[in-house]
Amino acid sequence: MMRKTNHIGHRLKKEAPRIPGYIVVLAWTAFVFCMFGWIIMASLSTTKEIFTNNLLSSGAHVENFTKALFTNNMGLYLLNSVIYTVPYCILIIIIAAPAAYCLSRFNFRGSGIIQALIILGLAIPNIMVVMPLFSIVNSLNLSGTHLTLIFIYTAGSVPYTTYYLMTFFKSISTSFEEAAAIDGCGFFRCFWKIMFPLARPAVMTVTIFNFIGKWNEYFMALIFANKSELRPIGVGLYQVVTSMMNSGDWAGMFASVVIVFVPTVIIYALLSKHIIGGTTAGGVKG
Amino acid sequence: MKQSKRAIFVFLAPAMLLFALMFVYPVLRTAAMSLFNVKSVSSTVDTWTWAGFDNYIKLFNTPLFITSIKNICKIFVTSGIACLGSALILAIILTQGLVGQRFFRAIVYMPNVIAAVAVGYMWLLYVFNAKFGMLTTLFSSIGWTEMANFKWLSADNMFLSMSIAYCFSNAGYFMMTYIAGIEKIPADYYEAATIDGANVFQKFLFITLPLIKGVLGTSLVLWTSKTMGFFALSQVFGGVSTYVPMMYAYDTLFGSEVSVDSTNAGVAAAAACIMTTVVVIVSTISRKSVKDEGYEL
Repeated sequence: MMRKTNHIGHRLKKEAPRIPGYIVVLAWTAFVFCMFGWIIMASLSTTKEIFTNNLLSSGAHVENFTKALFTNNMGLYLLNSVIYTVPYCILIIIIAAPAAYCLSRFNFRGSGIIQALIILGLAIPNIMVVMPLFSIVNSLNLSGTHLTLIFIYTAGSVPYTTYYLMTFFKSISTSFEEAAAIDGCGFFRCFWKIMFPLARPAVMTVTIFNFIGKWNEYFMALIFANKSELRPIGVGLYQVVTSMMNSGDWAGMFASVVIVFVPTVIIYALLSKHIIGGTTAGGVKG
Repeated sequence: MKQSKRAIFVFLAPAMLLFALMFVYPVLRTAAMSLFNVKSVSSTVDTWTWAGFDNYIKLFNTPLFITSIKNICKIFVTSGIACLGSALILAIILTQGLVGQRFFRAIVYMPNVIAAVAVGYMWLLYVFNAKFGMLTTLFSSIGWTEMANFKWLSADNMFLSMSIAYCFSNAGYFMMTYIAGIEKIPADYYEAATIDGANVFQKFLFITLPLIKGVLGTSLVLWTSKTMGFFALSQVFGGVSTYVPMMYAYDTLFGSEVSVDSTNAGVAAAAACIMTTVVVIVSTISRKSVKDEGYEL
């Protein structure tokens, strides 16, 4: 008994200085929950209920979502986002992983310059490259296809993905390749059969970041995919909200916002361990 | 040896080709464009006429561009202090071993996985709304009428509102960077300090802060490139007080009513060059200074 109270006392003493910290993070969390909760409820209410503060008083209006998805094309924009991000995520790994491997493993002439260029590439803002790309796309008549943005996303992501995987390959011991070389394993097979599987955790993390990053990308999409049949979800949301603002359809606006954040929030909820591990590993190195 | 040289080439070539197409050529061409009169983005090189530094001079005589530079500087400094400051405070709180620490980290980071446009609208359409907004409801329920009637979205306050939304959506990202730095510090440093009778603030000042200097430098680089690319929120919030250089360049290039010299892509290229130079200089300096001090990045 004595020991127990002592234990609780000790515990209290340990937790007491942390109370201000608890207050801060609890307030932050409460704010986030209120914000998302209210918006999700508003997306299922009518515009009149939103303005009279009677959310959901006439039940859930799922038609806000069907209207946003089908009448206002949000469904098409979602599909477009998938068409852009999935091929991009695969292509960038096929291209960047071998390059990262070579740069981290072999000392050859030009390796230092290439690495310096890649680091420089990390700092180049989109606005610096967008004009020449736009004129190339125009002169080659590539503006009407999904391939343009897939290409731009893939090429634009070369510095980040290569850099991220480079730091990972540097941390793998060379004894794997040595053993493979002794067994007579060729260079290409050695990479794809031995090194690439070893890098799977890093590939997985960088792919999650690439996917979320390009799913949410806005500037390039606005310039290279701003026709209704090409628009991804972010640019689509801007168009839809602008037009709903004119017609005063507030319930529809909230439904559209929900449609945009739900996919990435679900991915985040499922993979948050990966994502948070990735930010703390990649963030410092960035 | 010869074979492995060929293999290295095969492995590197695709990435290098894309890099050249996406970065080397466009950067050089944009830099060149900024020194010429270029009618539109897609004008061919033979129609360019030499302008020297006229585009840059023109840019600095354009009031809207000056406004956008002032705005971005304001965002860089004020939001920078607010965002990085709150990120650091949250990082310290969330490395103390609170109950539910991982959950809280996940919540604070969450806005980073949502499109900036959507986060912007969540604030614009709901939190700041004058009729049913969260802030109005909250302040009127506690009877603070002055704050309840605060016009978050009037032209005067738009900048403040946008900055709050911007800090909220970015704090989690920087918090994670700081947490990574703090968690690398060996626990016995703190234990030794505790035995010596150091309080929380002393521990922060004399142990944490000096040891995460490198991470602080990194976060400054990330913050610079993030703010230079500031665009989506500016478009969502709209208005002169939230106008930034990216918006200016975009409007100059792709049709707008606001820009004075909307036919000259050279001016937009000059704006792009200025922004790029700032980012590259800041990142080079902080990479160098961090390296000089011998902190491991």
